[in-house]
Amino acid sequence: MSNTATKRIALTRTAERASSTSGRPPIAAKPRRSVSDRLFMIWGILVLLFLFAPIIVILVYSFNTGRLLIAFDGFGIEPFLTILNKPAIQNAVWVSIRSGVFSALFATAIGTLAGVAMARRPGKWVGWFLALLVLVTVTPEIVDAVSLLPWVVFLGQDLGLGIFNDGIFRLVVGNSLFSIAVVSYIVRARLVGISESLEEASADLYAPPLRTFWRITLPLAMPAVLAGGLLSFTLSLDNTIVSSFVSVSGTTPWPVYVLSAVRSGLRPEIASVSTLMLIVTLLALALVAWVLKRSGDSATEIARTMAGG
Amino acid sequence: MPKLRLPKATLALPAWVWLLAFFAAPVGLIIWYSFGYKPSIFGTHANDILSLDRYAEALSPTFFSTFSNTLWVGVVGTVACLIIGMPVAYWMAVKVPVAKRGLLIAAIMIPFWTNFLVRTIGWQIILAPQGWLSQGLQATGLLDGPLEILYSRSAVLIGVIYNYLPLMILPLFVAFDRVGEPLREASKDLGAGRLHTFLRVTIPLARPGIIAGLLLVYIPLMGDYITATVLGGAKGNMAGQLVAAQFQSAQNWALGSAMAVILILTILLSAAVLGLVIWLATLPFRSHYRLRLGVE
Repeated sequence: MSNTATKRIALTRTAERASSTSGRPPIAAKPRRSVSDRLFMIWGILVLLFLFAPIIVILVYSFNTGRLLIAFDGFGIEPFLTILNKPAIQNAVWVSIRSGVFSALFATAIGTLAGVAMARRPGKWVGWFLALLVLVTVTPEIVDAVSLLPWVVFLGQDLGLGIFNDGIFRLVVGNSLFSIAVVSYIVRARLVGISESLEEASADLYAPPLRTFWRITLPLAMPAVLAGGLLSFTLSLDNTIVSSFVSVSGTTPWPVYVLSAVRSGLRPEIASVSTLMLIVTLLALALVAWVLKRSGDSATEIARTMAGG
Repeated sequence: MPKLRLPKATLALPAWVWLLAFFAAPVGLIIWYSFGYKPSIFGTHANDILSLDRYAEALSPTFFSTFSNTLWVGVVGTVACLIIGMPVAYWMAVKVPVAKRGLLIAAIMIPFWTNFLVRTIGWQIILAPQGWLSQGLQATGLLDGPLEILYSRSAVLIGVIYNYLPLMILPLFVAFDRVGEPLREASKDLGAGRLHTFLRVTIPLARPGIIAGLLLVYIPLMGDYITATVLGGAKGNMAGQLVAAQFQSAQNWALGSAMAVILILTILLSAAVLGLVIWLATLPFRSHYRLRLGVE
């Protein structure tokens, strides 16, 4: 408890400082710029260039008219047009979007309930549950992947549970683990920072627990719920390792399609689709940032939320 | 107070059940398999005789070099991320005006949220022997022949540093930002130089963020499978590929399971050692006075 109190105080202090520094000119804005300041800036810009280099390369190469992705031939929109008569690519992207949406909805529902429970019904069980979430987060994806494969095969074929032979369902299971953990963290963090007084008032006014949950708790947690949902969606779109193990032929998601192309030969339309998907992801992320900003988070808090805790 | 009180953890029940069914149970199954053996060419695993032989096999010289290679890439990559990322995070949190920070955070996060596999393919294009970088270096005379870095351990190292750097910068930024201008000013007013302020005030207070960053980078990096597959070729093998190969091509689930368990144990143990080293290394900086943020 004292730990959460410390956190809460630290958060309000950050908020106070943010509002006070935005009010008057910050102390750091002195006219002189020392050599070390310049060096910091140069280093920062170099690192940003490093971070953007391969993305720029992919953007440029998505207009490559050559046969192979890696050998740049000429500049044109042909690769984008090729997508139109490649049903395998379209199917892969469609599988990714569908499994991403289902995973996001599912993980958000389950993760929100868990996050609310951790924030509002604290007890000894929270420690155990957090330990499980931490285990889920630190287990390498490849271990999740190799352990889920025999498990879903066992459930689907040996026990005859038909749903485990469904491609989309398997992908949703694989995507859901990490997403549930992320949503639970975010929702808990948000609710721990808000006093329980509104919920208590609602109960005092004879609202049944379910109505209090729908009308008070959920709206309070909503920014975190939305952010968590969109994060799960992008995480699921990106999920390569677990998907490549559990996916069934016919329901190959996009990253798995690309991974198999790495082995058999990459063609320019792979970069084109990636460019289009990048735009979609950026729009989703901009939406998350906008939602968080509207709910009054500072840049720092947004960064912390988006980094998954 | 509502009359009917459900047990405290009721709302978390679906998450409990789901995570136990699809995380704990399958991982438990893997641990069980790891004590078995591969019965025949067509069988993947059998558990009628239990032994630790698979662990011995996984640590035999054939595979041990891959595990030590993974550890090398993991440690060097994480330290490199810290050295590269720390000045950037400090710059963003301290030197850059508040109004521009949001934009910079977004810039750091865009690569982070681009498809992992696709940006690694981007590096494959950059590092290719016939690529622009190679041609540019040859044209300027910095290099005699074509760039021969792709499909080697160095390429994997560049790839992992690139892929996990944002995970280092973000928590460090949050940590430095929390220290705040007033404390640094106070340190300067009390006569401390810049380096002294950094070592005695900023670093000790940012320690949780530094540890978070190290763990956020080190743990997924050790289990990485994609970067090594795309950039490593035959020479840059990592443990993740070893595990995958036992399940996908060799069909030896018992051995693959033992390797997966060793991988997890290696990560947990080395993270603990890393924590101990950091604790010892920062000991001299926090012996005299202890500064704490929050409630005293």
